[in-house]
Order: sequence, then structure tokens, then C-alpha cells
Amino acid sequence: MTDLLHDHPSRLRPVRELFNLDIDMQVPVFEHRDEHVPDIDPSYCFNPDVTLAILAGFTRNRRVLLQGLHGTGKSTHIEQVAARLNWPCVRVNLDGHISRLDLVGKDTIVLEEGKQITRFQEGIVPWALRRPVALIFDEFDAGRPDVMFVIQRILEQDGKFTLLDQNQVITPNPHFRLFATANTVGLGNITGLYHGTQQINQAQMDRWNIVAKLDYLPREDEIRIIQGKVPRYNDTRGHELISRMVAVAELTRAGFAAGDLSTLMSPRTLIAWAENNEIFNDTALAFRLSFLNKCDEGERPLVAEYYQRCFDQELPEPQALQLTAV
Amino acid sequence: MAAPTDNTPNAAAEARRQQRLEELCAALIRAQSAQAEVRYRGHRLEWRGKAYPLRAPHLQLDAQQDDWGSCRGVADAIALRLRHHDPELHRHWLPTPPVARLVFELLEQLRVESLVPAHHPGSRRNLHYRFSAWSNRFLASGQTESHLGLLLFTLSMMSWVQLGGGPIDEGTEHLIESTRMFLLREIGQPFGRIRRCREDQAAFAEQALAIALSVNELVADLQQQLAGNEQDQDALEEVGNGFGLLLDFDGDGDQAGSQAGGASPRNSDGEAAYRIFTGRYDKEWQAARKVRPELLERLRRQLDQRIREQGLNLNGLTKKLRRLLARPHQDGWRFGEEEGRLDGRRLSTLVTSHADRRVFKQPREEWRANAAVTILVDNSGSMRPHMEHIAMLIDLLVQGLERTGARTEVLGFTTGHWNGGQPLKDWQRRGWPANPGRLNERCHLVYKNSDTPWRRARRSLAALLKSDLFREGLDGEALLWAEQRLLAEHVNERILLVISDGCPMDTATRQSNADDILDAHLMAVADRIDRDPRIRLCALGVGLDLSRYYRHNQLLDLEHSPDNRIFDEILALITRAMRG
Repeated sequence: MTDLLHDHPSRLRPVRELFNLDIDMQVPVFEHRDEHVPDIDPSYCFNPDVTLAILAGFTRNRRVLLQGLHGTGKSTHIEQVAARLNWPCVRVNLDGHISRLDLVGKDTIVLEEGKQITRFQEGIVPWALRRPVALIFDEFDAGRPDVMFVIQRILEQDGKFTLLDQNQVITPNPHFRLFATANTVGLGNITGLYHGTQQINQAQMDRWNIVAKLDYLPREDEIRIIQGKVPRYNDTRGHELISRMVAVAELTRAGFAAGDLSTLMSPRTLIAWAENNEIFNDTALAFRLSFLNKCDEGERPLVAEYYQRCFDQELPEPQALQLTAV
Repeated sequence: MAAPTDNTPNAAAEARRQQRLEELCAALIRAQSAQAEVRYRGHRLEWRGKAYPLRAPHLQLDAQQDDWGSCRGVADAIALRLRHHDPELHRHWLPTPPVARLVFELLEQLRVESLVPAHHPGSRRNLHYRFSAWSNRFLASGQTESHLGLLLFTLSMMSWVQLGGGPIDEGTEHLIESTRMFLLREIGQPFGRIRRCREDQAAFAEQALAIALSVNELVADLQQQLAGNEQDQDALEEVGNGFGLLLDFDGDGDQAGSQAGGASPRNSDGEAAYRIFTGRYDKEWQAARKVRPELLERLRRQLDQRIREQGLNLNGLTKKLRRLLARPHQDGWRFGEEEGRLDGRRLSTLVTSHADRRVFKQPREEWRANAAVTILVDNSGSMRPHMEHIAMLIDLLVQGLERTGARTEVLGFTTGHWNGGQPLKDWQRRGWPANPGRLNERCHLVYKNSDTPWRRARRSLAALLKSDLFREGLDGEALLWAEQRLLAEHVNERILLVISDGCPMDTATRQSNADDILDAHLMAVADRIDRDPRIRLCALGVGLDLSRYYRHNQLLDLEHSPDNRIFDEILALITRAMRG
């Protein structure tokens, strides 16, 4: 494995060419694809505004926070931009178990020539800071407060990072980039959908230069993504089927927004549904297994009604049947 | 005190079914139209707090005759109207003559229905089903036998087909053939254009208006010809009925000012306008003090016995309540961790065995409810037969809530006397001044306050079974009282759960004031609390639909002993209220 330490983006490419966006902007691109560069997903659909925000992050060293409901593809969006720039990427999921020491590093005991010695093992933050790497903090709003303060230091653009127990000061690589994704805009769990998220300290929020919001994609794009993931539906009939599946998902999202449902169908669930449909060859059964069984029992009759609207077919659901028996 | 309603078990089951269907329809409309402020209140549809008029004839449902398929169709039709219809623009074009209005409304409704998206084939079928059901019913009623009936019916069917509705069966085709030819001669030109401009409301309205005015003229001519003929006059009226009395445009919800469920204003004016003749005799009692200790002991044993027999699952209930209400709190420390903050008490371990890393502590998270729940029970006379079941429900709810860490309060309300007490006498002595306001003694009962744990309030809760305290009810004032007590709690979440079996009732007050003084007050208070983000208000109706008063309500079936399902319904209600 070659170390990235001395690599850097060597040329500029027009955004128009790479992302088909109608603006005059050049972005720095790496010559070689390191193993940390994510794979390109050719079926991925970029959201123009979010793409621009991310590109600003890469080009102008802005700190970018992406916010959106689960399954809107926030992290993937950053990764796919990075993939096209050949920019190495590291994702860290800030769930409640990541501790400050995991990020910064800790002394560990290792065996060397038969003797126990302690050695400092660098955490992911100092490692990434020294290299031209895009560091992505997923679930940023679920991080523990002690972790947040570690991040706060590197959020400053030229923030030097001090390893206290090592007496070391790390100056970030000029091509180090920082991104984060979050389900909430730092306000904590308001809808009741995201337990475990925290209110983000205002000082933290202030340090993000760009906050972009990613909503669900327009329906044609969403259909295209699912067709891309499950190529069997890549024809007219498949388009019609997936269009109806997306319609069910849209109704669940509207139902969630109105407070009638406590779960909603993310693109991830849609893809799972399409894949399960391929396995079982039964749209209703696949729907039950991929989404309906995750719903609260009291909400299932409503979901069954959504299904009826989009598929003109009754979902065999005991409670729904009780209602129809007039 | 309940309004005179049919309280047989079948009626209660039917009312519950009706409520569930309405809820489902409202939820469907909300999802399909992406409008969150759609709900049923007292069986009438409301949009943004105002009655939503259903002016097209096929949207009028008959609860007795129409099936679930028709309900679905109507829900889809309303959702499409909310989605594709601009009320402002509509009002601009709306003609004045009643018949022209009717035609114009019908065309507009069929226009929005024609915009059902291709990926909603089920909605398309439901709309088709509903329109066919309506037209069959109209045919069967024999109203097409009059000239006017046939004319309007033919126009409806033609427009439906023209706007992509679907094929008409042969018999109907035959029936309307000649009228259709006649109509086409009169309205042919604009009629030919409506399909093309159905996606543009303004362009469509122009054509629809031309059609509506032509038809209005035709009908006026027809009426003149038939002026002398009494039989035909009756037929005209009957057709009006068949079209759902749509010629009467009162209660126009697109225009501001209409109110659902009666003449009273539901805003804070209703609350401000409410008067109390005298509050001198009002009482607030600790319920346990009103019952002899021996009797209370016996009632408690009776309640315990009933709860044991019922096999209600308190642990299950607690678990569900915890899922609903509990939030993570930092509570103490976890010791012996491999990372975290250094634990001073384990420093010696660090020295004696430095390979042992379990010398840290970490903050411990515990899930606890930071909530206060007030249960407000209607202690009106009509609640007596249900009190045993309600006491069981309350007892278990209080226990379950307490285990999640929530504070609970159980309150009751009734009046001091039947038909007015001292205040009524005072009023009479003062010479019967007009509009005196409330004329009975208000009586509030505290069964359990939030500082008393369930263990100590056990006996007091049994006083719920001593129903000879139950008289009439002043719901609005009770709600205010409970609200004040609840707001004094220092918690994050406040839930007010009302259990009642009817509208507020105090005979003396009703007889000497405007009929709906108590109703209007309750509506105004409930409406205000409902909009207050600090309190979640919800209501359980015992055999009565409370949707007129409370936005979040649930009909309870207490004909059978409560089982675990009832708790699921209550939890679902609270969940809805908490989602807002």
C-alpha cells in the first residue's frame, strides 16, 4: 500500500464535464485512484445544489454539513463526488460508541521482542489530518459530547491539532477535507424519529461553513436509481412497476409528514423491495417483507390503503379486511 | 351528561367503526393531497379548521347505504381537489345562479378527478367506482323521469365520459341519448374544449362557465314551461334533493366564516364570552374524604379483585408507555469501564495492576419519562354504569405511567346539584337577570394529585366507584382547571387525557342562557389548549364520538370488559396527540 502522504490533486477539470452542471467551475482532481477512493456508481443521480455544496467543500476547503431524512443518500452523495475526483475518502460513523480516544488515539500495550511495551496508536483524526483525505463524519448529530469537542478543533480551517499526551502539534495537510452528515439540523430529536441524536452546540454549528439539505429525489430520478440497482426492471414494464412502488413510498412520506405514520420508506427500503420482488416474484409479499412488517400494527391498515391506491390491489391485511366488512 | 344518543352495544360498535373509517379517510386525504390540516370533526370534513364543502353530487355519502369502496372514491376525489384546485381562482369564476353553480362545481370536480396520476391506478378505480355507484343510485331513485332530472343526469354522465371517466353501460347510454344530442346542440362548442384544457384551471373555468350558464338558461326555460304543473314542481324539488341539496350554498367553506358543527364560534371569543353567575359555592374536594373509610376499603378490594380477574397485562402496558414517553437522561455513572473518565476510587488498581484498564467511569444513560399526565374524568350521571371499567383503566394507566417515571394526576368534575343549586336560587332572588351565565355549583374532585404516588393514592382512586357524587358536568371549566394544574408541572411533556361520554350539561344554565353556551365554551377552551404547544390534549369518548370538541379523540367500547387491546387504542391516541 502506497502511503498517501505526498499525493495531491494535480490538475483541474471542469465541473461541466464531470457532473454535467451548467456552471463555469474547475475542480481539482487526483491523477491516481488510491484504494481509499470510493468506487464510481454509474447509476448515481446527483442533486445539483448539493453537488455544488460538496464541490465547494473540495475546491475551496469549506466545511460542509449535509442534512436530510434517513435514506436520502447523504454520505453516498459525498462519496460519489469524491469518486469522480479520485479523492481518497474515509467514513467514520459517530454512533454513541465512538469515544474521544478512538478518534485521537491511545496508548496500547504491544509485544515487541517478547517484551510488553506501551505504544501510542494514532486515531483516525490525526491519521487523516496528515493526508489529503476527505474525512466524513456520518450521523454527526448522534456523536457524544466529548467527541464533538475533538471535532470542534479540526473544524477550524487552519486548526492545528494538538496531541496532548504526545506533545505533538499536527498541521493539517492542505488537501485534508472535512464533511459530515446528520439527520437533524442540530436541534435534536424533534419528530421522535431520531432517538439518540443530540442537540448540537451552537458553537459547533457555526463552524460549518456550508449546510446543505438533501430531500428525496424527484420521482423519475428515484425510479432510475432503482432500475440501476435492479437491472431486471430496466424496461417499460419495469418502469411502470417501479413508478408505482415509488408512488407508495411518496404516500408514506406524505403520511409521515402529516403525522399519520411513524415510519417512512427511504430509497434504501425501495431498493430492498425491488430486490425482494426479484426473489419472490410477488410484489405484495415483497412489500410486506421489506416494509409493512416494520410498521406499527395500528398503522398497517393505512399503509394497505396506500398500497391499494398505487397497485389497484388489496393487500391481504386482517385489520384492513375488518374495515371493509360492512 | 350524555346527549340523547342511542347507547346500545350495536350503536357503539357502529360509531367506533364509523370513527375508524373517517380517520382512515382523513389520513388518506392528507397523504394524497400533502395537506396536513385535513380532519373530520363531528362527521364533517374540515380543512384548515373550517368545514370543507363537498359540492359535487357524487361526493355526498350516505353512511347507511354507501360502502367502503364509495368512501375510498370520495376520499381520493377530495384529495385530488385539494391538490389541483385553487379556491381563489374558483371563486373568481363561480357563477351566481344556483343551477349554474351546481354545474360549474360538478365540472370542476370532474376536472380534478381527471388529473389522477397514472401511478395511482387504484385511485382511478375508486373514483370510477364511486361515480358509478352514485349514478346507479340516481337512476334507481327514478329522478331521471323528470325533464330536469334527466337533463342534469345526462350532463353529469357526458362530462364524466368527456373527462376520461369511463364507458357508460348500454341501458344508460340509451336513456340519455336524445337529451345528449339536445344538450350538445346548446353547449357543443365549450364542451368540446374542456378535455384539452383540463390541466389549466383558468382556461377550464372559462369553458365550464359557458356550459354552466347555457344549462342555467335551459333550466330556466324548462321551469317556465312547467310553471303551472304542480307535479313537475315536486319533481324539480326532488331532483334538488338527488343532487344533494346542492342548490343551497350555505356553509361555503372556501369563504371565511363557516363553522363546523353548529352556530357557535369556536375561537377564543367563545371562551371570553362565557360567564359564571357566581363562583361562591364552587368546591374542590379530595375525593377520598367524601367516602367513608370502610366503604373505600371495600371499594378498593372490589377494584383489585376485578383487575385480577381481567388478566390485564401491566408489564406490557408499562413497556409500551416507556417506548412512547421515555427519553434518555444522564443518571449517575457506569464504573469499571475500559475508557472514559478516570475513576479516582480505582487509582490503587492502576498502581497495583497496570495491565488492568478497567479504571474508568462513563456517564450512564437511563430512559425515563419527563412527563406529566392528567386524566380528567367526566363525573356526570350518565357515566355511572361505566365507572367500574373506567376505574380499572385509570388504575392501570396510573401504575404504568408511574413506572416510566411520569407524574400522574386523576381529576374528576361534576356539579353540586341537579338542575342548579345555590347560584340558581341567588339568580332567582335577584330577579332573573338575562344571560346570567353558569348557574350551578361547580364541583371538582381530586382522586390523585401528582405528588402522591400510586401506592398512597390506591384507596383514593377507589372513590371513582362511589358514583352517587355524579351529577351534571361543566366540561369547559374542568378543562381550564386541569390545564392550570398541568401547566404548573415542571416537565417537558404534558398530556391531558379527558374521559367523557357526552357534551357538557347543566340544565339550569342551559335553560336560562343561549342553548349552546356550555358547548361553545368547551369547544373554545379545547381549541385553544389544542393549539398550545405545551399541552397535548386528547379525549376518550365512552360510546360517543367526541370529534366535535377534541381534535385527537378515540371512541372507547366499554360494553365489554376492558382488555389489553383497549390500552393499545389509548396509546395510539396519545401517540397521535404527541405527534401533533
